[in-house]
Amino acid sequence: MNVRILRQRSPFSDPYWEEFFYEDKENQTVAGMLDDLNYKDDLKTIAGESAPRIQWECSCLQGMCGACAMVINHRPALACETFLRDIKGDTVILEPLKKFPTVSDLVVDRSIIQENLKNANTYIEEYSADKSSDFNQMYSAAKCLKCGLCLEVCPNYGKGETFFGAAFANDCYLIASRSLSQKDTIKESYQSHFAKGCSKALSCVDICPMKIPTLTSISRMNR
Amino acid sequence: MKKVLIIGSGIAGLSCAIECAGRGMEVTLISPFPSERSQSVLAAGGINACLDHCQEGDSKESHIEDTLKGGCNIAGKEAVSGLCRDASNIINRLEKLGTVFSTEPNGRISVRAFGGQSYKRTCYCGASTGKQIVTALVMEARRLEGLGLITRRLWMDFYSALIKDGVCYGAILYNEAHVSFEIARADYVVIATGGQNALFGKTTGSTLCDGYVTGKLFMQGVELKNLEFIQYHPTTIETAQKKMLISEAVRGEGGRLYYEESGKRVYFMEELYGERGNLMPRDVISRCMDSTGKDIFLDISFLGKEEIIKRLPEVYDLCLKYRGIDISKDSIPVSPSVHFFMGGIAVKNDHETNIANLYAIGECASIYHGANRLGGNSLLAAIYSAKVASAAIENSVLSRTDEDFTTDLNEARAVLRTLQGSKSPFPVWYIRDMLAENMREDLGIVREEGRIKKGIEDVSYYLSIADKIHYDNSVLAYFNYSLTGILTLAKATLMCALYREESRGAHFRSDYPETKEAMAAATIISYDNGNFRTYFDLEGKYER
Repeated sequence: MNVRILRQRSPFSDPYWEEFFYEDKENQTVAGMLDDLNYKDDLKTIAGESAPRIQWECSCLQGMCGACAMVINHRPALACETFLRDIKGDTVILEPLKKFPTVSDLVVDRSIIQENLKNANTYIEEYSADKSSDFNQMYSAAKCLKCGLCLEVCPNYGKGETFFGAAFANDCYLIASRSLSQKDTIKESYQSHFAKGCSKALSCVDICPMKIPTLTSISRMNR
Repeated sequence: MKKVLIIGSGIAGLSCAIECAGRGMEVTLISPFPSERSQSVLAAGGINACLDHCQEGDSKESHIEDTLKGGCNIAGKEAVSGLCRDASNIINRLEKLGTVFSTEPNGRISVRAFGGQSYKRTCYCGASTGKQIVTALVMEARRLEGLGLITRRLWMDFYSALIKDGVCYGAILYNEAHVSFEIARADYVVIATGGQNALFGKTTGSTLCDGYVTGKLFMQGVELKNLEFIQYHPTTIETAQKKMLISEAVRGEGGRLYYEESGKRVYFMEELYGERGNLMPRDVISRCMDSTGKDIFLDISFLGKEEIIKRLPEVYDLCLKYRGIDISKDSIPVSPSVHFFMGGIAVKNDHETNIANLYAIGECASIYHGANRLGGNSLLAAIYSAKVASAAIENSVLSRTDEDFTTDLNEARAVLRTLQGSKSPFPVWYIRDMLAENMREDLGIVREEGRIKKGIEDVSYYLSIADKIHYDNSVLAYFNYSLTGILTLAKATLMCALYREESRGAHFRSDYPETKEAMAAATIISYDNGNFRTYFDLEGKYER
């Protein structure tokens, strides 16, 4: 299998393409493939030239931490749960997420997600559960990885200046369900940083690796 | 206002930051990546506590007894007692912070059975307890960040502690964004960097937990403890990229271990230990599995698809996704794999190390679990240890002099320059791979003197060339400079395993299969300029 990677040595250098060859293994994922390529003593491109190791972020390697989010064959996904067997054709193309600044190769700086949640006061403060709240929805919302895939595909999300996207909407629902005292404040914040900007394209729902029913969070928050 | 520097932002680090900020301290939280990437999110099964509505007959005393027994009677009774007695308060606090616990129709928190415990007392959030707790703690930390009480610094790595005459004054950090070292002064430093997974390559945990901080502190004079006790979790499933954990919750829900012989299933754990055989402590099951010499399977299919998806959705998804196995129809092929480190930084009951003002909490600290940890006690210990350390810091009286650490900073820069100037063709990966292979072979479930000595010899060789290896510009500087600390910790681990000439808990020596009363104490190891010294803590210098 051919592996085409959009590379970048540092935040300030220019991106460039490099191509490698990888002998596919049964049930191998893109993450496992990157590991295999990097573990070689000397990484060589298809043209036989030495190349620096491929930078990518990983931690859990099983779809539970969101570190390895990247664009795989033009679709944003987690590398550790994208299987090579599902790649159409004989080339896998890897690019960094485009809505966040590139740090190096496939590593991006997603700190804007945390910054926005902090600036929008996305916290519980005083716990008082809404008795009518739905366990399954809260449980799902709390599983958000903050991986940024939903923001990458969202047609309304730019650089996170005013519209904060689905990750924020789910946190809003969680807070509204766990803190009656924060409910009104978070609803206001939700209006300005989500409801006003969402055109309900719902691409966030399809792409979410945790399958969070964001539409339910939205409809509950809109009530 | 006391200044606290916390290294690591998983559940232990986050909890400590929240506790310290709540007690009016100024907290800086250091980690290269956000908390969502920490190993804590992988903790699946639950957190132990004897709650007010506990199972009939259960008590805090029973939780204490089970924990001490599981740890093979070398954990400190006072420490364990504190842990178990505070457990219900911790659950209440987590609930107040918004943790989405699984509950019964009457609103009470649900509990499930876990290995090595006399009663059902493991509270849980589906099968993603760690993740749900991280989410709640991140929200609370966010509130305190907004108030300016916690400052998070991402893209930062630990290099060394600032230590003079047995007192800690802060740390030298490496700023990966600015590509430079810097001094971070603090009144107190709390280490919360998790276990030393990287010694064994890929484990069930995070690739970010590599043991470097523990190894480096050891080289700076911090004593370590019980390194030989490494938990092999009995049920992990092999995938193309790592061995993934099959939560103990599967056995808690009735899952049965078996192997096949002449076309028939042999439920070996039940044959050996009766009805609760599948829920024996993890070390016992791992050894039993190993001794069969056969392929082992875990069956939960009898629960039915609906119940499996309701109670164990993550396990169902994981097996289907990574191995194409539908666990409502087929059994799960399982084998033991390195999962948790009972050993680590030696701490007293208040979580202070042998260096004043330097604390360690969570998995990197060795306390509570003795020779083997019970499932559900690690999340509890991570949060409890943070609470204890922050209370100790609040109550401690700070009297110190201003020390100059410019020389230490220059030394750090010189170390990096030397590494960068190396002409060797061998990269760090090469040595790390060989180390992992050695450790898996020489420090497996069953150990013996010859293999351990061979391991020490091999690791000593790697150490002798560690500062001459090829500097890889295409990976983080941390990855290059961390090798010596990791290798030193590996050697210390092997030395501890060699020193303990008996079998106890997770440490099984085929050449010393008996448990010896004279060795019913923690192993302590210290380092002085390349020399390792090992002894048993028979006088209770640390944990009581």
